[in-house]
Amino acid sequence: MAAVSPRLLALIPLAVGINLAMGKFAAATSLPLFLDTAGTVLVAALAGPAAALLTGVVSQTTFTVLDGRLMWLAFLPVQLGVALYASWAAWRGLFASVPRALLSGAGLGVLAATLSWPISLLLFGGVTAGGVTIVTTLLTALGVPLTWAVYGASLSADVLDKVVTFALVHAVLISLPGRMAARFPAAARALGRT
Amino acid sequence: MIVGYVAGKSPLHQAHPFTALALAATVVVLAFALPAPQGPAALAVALAALALLARLPRVLLTALGFSLPFWFFLGVIHGLIGETPLRALTVGAQITAMLTAFLLVLATVHPARLVDALLQRGVPFSLAYLLSATLQAVPRLRRQAADIVEAQRCRGLRVRGSVWRRTRAVVPLAIPLVLGALGEVDERAMALDARGAAAPAHRTALEPPPDSTAQRVVRWLLAAAAVGVIVWRVLA
Repeated sequence: MAAVSPRLLALIPLAVGINLAMGKFAAATSLPLFLDTAGTVLVAALAGPAAALLTGVVSQTTFTVLDGRLMWLAFLPVQLGVALYASWAAWRGLFASVPRALLSGAGLGVLAATLSWPISLLLFGGVTAGGVTIVTTLLTALGVPLTWAVYGASLSADVLDKVVTFALVHAVLISLPGRMAARFPAAARALGRT
Repeated sequence: MIVGYVAGKSPLHQAHPFTALALAATVVVLAFALPAPQGPAALAVALAALALLARLPRVLLTALGFSLPFWFFLGVIHGLIGETPLRALTVGAQITAMLTAFLLVLATVHPARLVDALLQRGVPFSLAYLLSATLQAVPRLRRQAADIVEAQRCRGLRVRGSVWRRTRAVVPLAIPLVLGALGEVDERAMALDARGAAAPAHRTALEPPPDSTAQRVVRWLLAAAAVGVIVWRVLA
């Protein structure tokens, strides 16, 4: 921990702030999105996996503390999975174009749904409140077994959310002013420019 | 509904932050380790009593308010559709017990006291800084996000209409927020550097929260209870 550079110490709280503030935009546009991993994905593209993992941990902890609902901490593996996948995507230059970003975002959506599925099923009996649970309830009422209803609901929500998240990070990376981009050499790689 | 610190003089307020945290951690273990459904239900009742003893009835109300949607959906999915009402009761009681414990800790432990306690125990400055800087950055960026929505709408950004139009509207909202935040990084990094943030030296907390032998005993008893219940359940 002592090895964290002042740059990362400055970046991570702001990235967590981005994670937790983006929900305002989803609410303002009444879209069924969380966008609560946008900061984590951004840090992955700007500073690599270690910083992204740290952002994920701090983000999930802070969200839990500010929201007061302790159980969100159980979803920490999802943030960590997002951090690792996004770092890999950035390293492979998958933020280079909109189609690439959309496709790799969809991949992240499947990963995130697969990670959150056992957690919400085993720990919360499939009930995590909010829009996803309404879909789950509808699916179970239609006769879909609970196991698959939970997966179907998270899948539909997560794929949409992560596709938009990746598209947004692509948009941010290409509009990064040169002076700022120069501070984060990894950003050029994420855009496939090296 | 309240989430966060409430000034007061209850024993929990005066306790060392670690004692309050140990209580919350023990409740989490017990909620899953005690035999269901009586165990979690009794735990939820015990925590409700503790909240009232600490004269924080509003914390209890918040916990119940947060639990309500869970109880509703658990009742529908497990009680009505799945016909396993006991499972609904178990999960519901676990959630309510953990929520009450956690909201109690949030209401009685001031974040600054927690950071001081961590620093005093030799936790690296960077970790303590991450904790407190993040808790400050989040409300600020949330306010900023709300301002950006208003500013862009004044400029004619439409946040209604088709899904495609609304999705596109997220871009001019997100970019100013993110670039604004990234623009701060340099300044903050320099300020941190000037304060020796990277130095591994031990820092002295200005006002470390007082600890006592009695509290240490309580913490060990809580840990023993958590471990004891697990051992008992594994053996039985």
